[in-house]
Amino acid sequence: MTNVIQVAILGLLLGGVYALMAAGLTLAFGVMRIVNLAHAAFIIASAYISFFAFDKLGIDPLLSVVFVMPIMFFFGIAVYQALFRRIEGSAKFGEMTVLLTFGIAIMVEGLLGFVFTGIYRKAQPGYANESFIVDGLFLPEGDILFIPKGQFFASLLSIVLLVGLWAFLRYSQTGYAIRATTQNRAAAEIVGVNVRRVSAISFGLSTALAGASGALMSYLFPFFPFRHWQWVAVLLALVVLGGMGSMKGAVIGALVLGVASSFVVDQIGPTWGPMTFYLALFLILLIRPQGLFGKEVPV
Amino acid sequence: MIEDRAAMGPEDSAPEPTPEEVQRPPGPARYRWYVLAAVVVALLALPLFRPMISSYNYVLTLGALILMWVAMSSSWNILGGYAGYISLGHSVFMGVGGYVAGVLLYYHGISPFLTALLGGLAAVALGFLAGFITLRTRGPAFIISTIALLFMFLLMTDNFEYLGGAAGLPLPPLEVPQEWLRVPFYYAMLFIAFGAVWTSYRVAHSKFGMGLRAISEDETKAEVAGVPTRLYKISAFAMSAFWVGVAGGIYGYSIAFIRPTVFFTIAISAQMVLMAIIGGKGTVAGPVLGAVLIYAINEFSLVVFGATEFNIVIQGTILVAVLLFFPLGVVGTLRKMNRLPAFLNWD
Amino acid sequence: MAILEITDVSAGYGAGPDILQGLSLEVEEAQSYCIIGPNGAGKSTLLKVIAGLLHPRSGDVVFRGESLAHRRPDQVLATGVCFVPQDQALFPEMSVRENLIMGAYLLKDRALIKERLARVYEMFPILAERAGQDAGKMSGGQQQMLAMGRALMIDPILLMLDEPTLGLAPQIAQQIFSQVEQLKSMGLTVVIIEQNAQRGLELADWGVVLDLGIVRFEGPSEGILGDPRVRELYLGKAAGSGEKK
Repeated sequence: MTNVIQVAILGLLLGGVYALMAAGLTLAFGVMRIVNLAHAAFIIASAYISFFAFDKLGIDPLLSVVFVMPIMFFFGIAVYQALFRRIEGSAKFGEMTVLLTFGIAIMVEGLLGFVFTGIYRKAQPGYANESFIVDGLFLPEGDILFIPKGQFFASLLSIVLLVGLWAFLRYSQTGYAIRATTQNRAAAEIVGVNVRRVSAISFGLSTALAGASGALMSYLFPFFPFRHWQWVAVLLALVVLGGMGSMKGAVIGALVLGVASSFVVDQIGPTWGPMTFYLALFLILLIRPQGLFGKEVPV
Repeated sequence: MIEDRAAMGPEDSAPEPTPEEVQRPPGPARYRWYVLAAVVVALLALPLFRPMISSYNYVLTLGALILMWVAMSSSWNILGGYAGYISLGHSVFMGVGGYVAGVLLYYHGISPFLTALLGGLAAVALGFLAGFITLRTRGPAFIISTIALLFMFLLMTDNFEYLGGAAGLPLPPLEVPQEWLRVPFYYAMLFIAFGAVWTSYRVAHSKFGMGLRAISEDETKAEVAGVPTRLYKISAFAMSAFWVGVAGGIYGYSIAFIRPTVFFTIAISAQMVLMAIIGGKGTVAGPVLGAVLIYAINEFSLVVFGATEFNIVIQGTILVAVLLFFPLGVVGTLRKMNRLPAFLNWD
Repeated sequence: MAILEITDVSAGYGAGPDILQGLSLEVEEAQSYCIIGPNGAGKSTLLKVIAGLLHPRSGDVVFRGESLAHRRPDQVLATGVCFVPQDQALFPEMSVRENLIMGAYLLKDRALIKERLARVYEMFPILAERAGQDAGKMSGGQQQMLAMGRALMIDPILLMLDEPTLGLAPQIAQQIFSQVEQLKSMGLTVVIIEQNAQRGLELADWGVVLDLGIVRFEGPSEGILGDPRVRELYLGKAAGSGEKK
């Protein structure tokens, strides 16, 4: 029993981080219908910033979100203005964005590899290898639970950022505009939303979330440039599962699958963790092609 | 009143962009057949000129690889170009072919020259099965599921002892004198490239191909017009897997080992996509031209920049630039400008 | 005095042909206009051009001395021109109240937004009743009222309605018409596209008949209604298409 709780806790902690990663992707898809295959490449690029900030300057990776997020925000806006503005309104916009971001992902991967080489990196702040130990409480005599500090803090930061994002979307003027554009772009235009500006801001927010995810990745998971494909496959599986563009769906999907993969890792072996996501994706396509929280809309 | 409006349809709706008229080559442009015949003869005859080629094996290896890419991007084009369903996981079929032929050789000693076709059939079977599931969605969700498919296979091959795990299986080399070693592979790839391009051509000129194009234009309308969209899409997926699988079988043999990262990597899928797009997706000649172009650019950048990650940057940049400025690719753009030479016009 | 002058406007979608072919029209302040014409005449296209959703290929749209021809939709809206499209363009997963607040998106003054909200609720009590409900879950008539209410949040000078009674049951449509009547009496300039030409012309002060992207006839409604050429050419057709066959 204790082991089950232990595995579930680890899964939830991971799921929290996955949720943050998937939230960024979902935002970009929801507002602009951009399926950003470069999202994970952006995450890895951000992980390099945090890694070197820690390695060279001793800045804590968790703290590095303070500058990584703004950097990635403006980077995202620049990418949007330089590339996506050009294809707005083109036929087959969805397909175009996939191919375009595929190209961007390849570029980022190549550049990172060129500059930083392909070796594994992982920041090692003090808490990365420490755990909180829980005993007593409801646990059977002698049993203890480990809560790894690094993952706990990462998850906490994810929650803070996700709640912040939720409040921003819910209560701010720009948040209203973002939600409106997501639901009905034409209508948003009619009530006076500058949808281009909103799109640029949303894409910036999406990449800023990638930035925060990267800061967490820098000490949670070993990374190297090519790794982003593996991540993007997992994250995209989450986004499809959640119903393409449903923030709630992506977050719930991330938590559920975080726990599920944690059990798969525990029972079968660590290499099979990602399989949970792919299998879940195919399963959901079989049963409910529009995803858990999606509506049936022709794309 | 309500039913009546539905029958009337939306008013003032934007007129459909008229699909560009398919140009038929004018009568005198029959010379394209002569060009084709000349190319075929040259390709068939190339290995005969051994004394005149200084680095014979290198040239044949290069030739075989280009032919392989021609086959693979042309096959990808059946689904990605004609039907408009972009697969970013197409190298999964190459891997299936490679593993089927490789395992049969490793454990049973049967030559991949015989079993590569079996590998192709295995790829077709996977195409049907995967298509059955993934083609329930369209657009981005489909593309994503093809990536997931690729990674599933990477994980599985990585973890199955029987398949050699992450280290893969070494394959016994072909027992042919070193100086002739490349010839069988060259002809095998030449055969595969013919097969793939011929398939692509036949599809383009069939009712099936027209149905696929209709799906690509507007799937709902195609369905209303009586195209059995689901059947066509799944068939296109399976068909586009075949020659990729066969090529994989031969390729594994030619490099004398099979390993997950040789096949099940998105970089290989990326190449197929890139080649088809730069040449002109949805055209017969586009992927062929694109394969040659991209391969040439790759070799060139290898020579100039060395074997660095910079190659990857160049590929990504080309893809982005082509999409932004020439989304129709070389063949499509030339056609739009009415400048397409007849020997590239096979649509 | 004309507050809106459309001069020689040509417009079309994408690379397609011109839908509007050199159309000119003047709209007087505090008057109501009903635009009629056969399918494809360019009625919706005209309103989209005025609203800034579609830029004219040539010609000009001048509203109270300012050219709107190359403004963004939000800039056009800021001048007081508000458009309610055929599909109402609501935000389905936002509540009625949120939809109305979105209507005042360009306003910063919270007190003013509150005041307008109260005014809209007064005019459409049903919206006050359903304030918390998701817009996507309301009936067609209610959605149309929400769309009109939302348009009023910005307190427009010129309100353009594209077939507001489309697909509504006759008594609901009648309700919508009386709301439009009320707007007119408040001094708004109203331009309305109406498939039921007879009813539309009875409501409006002026009738405008579009055909093939230009204004074929225009004049006081009674005149248009009575004009035998119009009757024969368009009224029959337009009215006929509204009936069951």
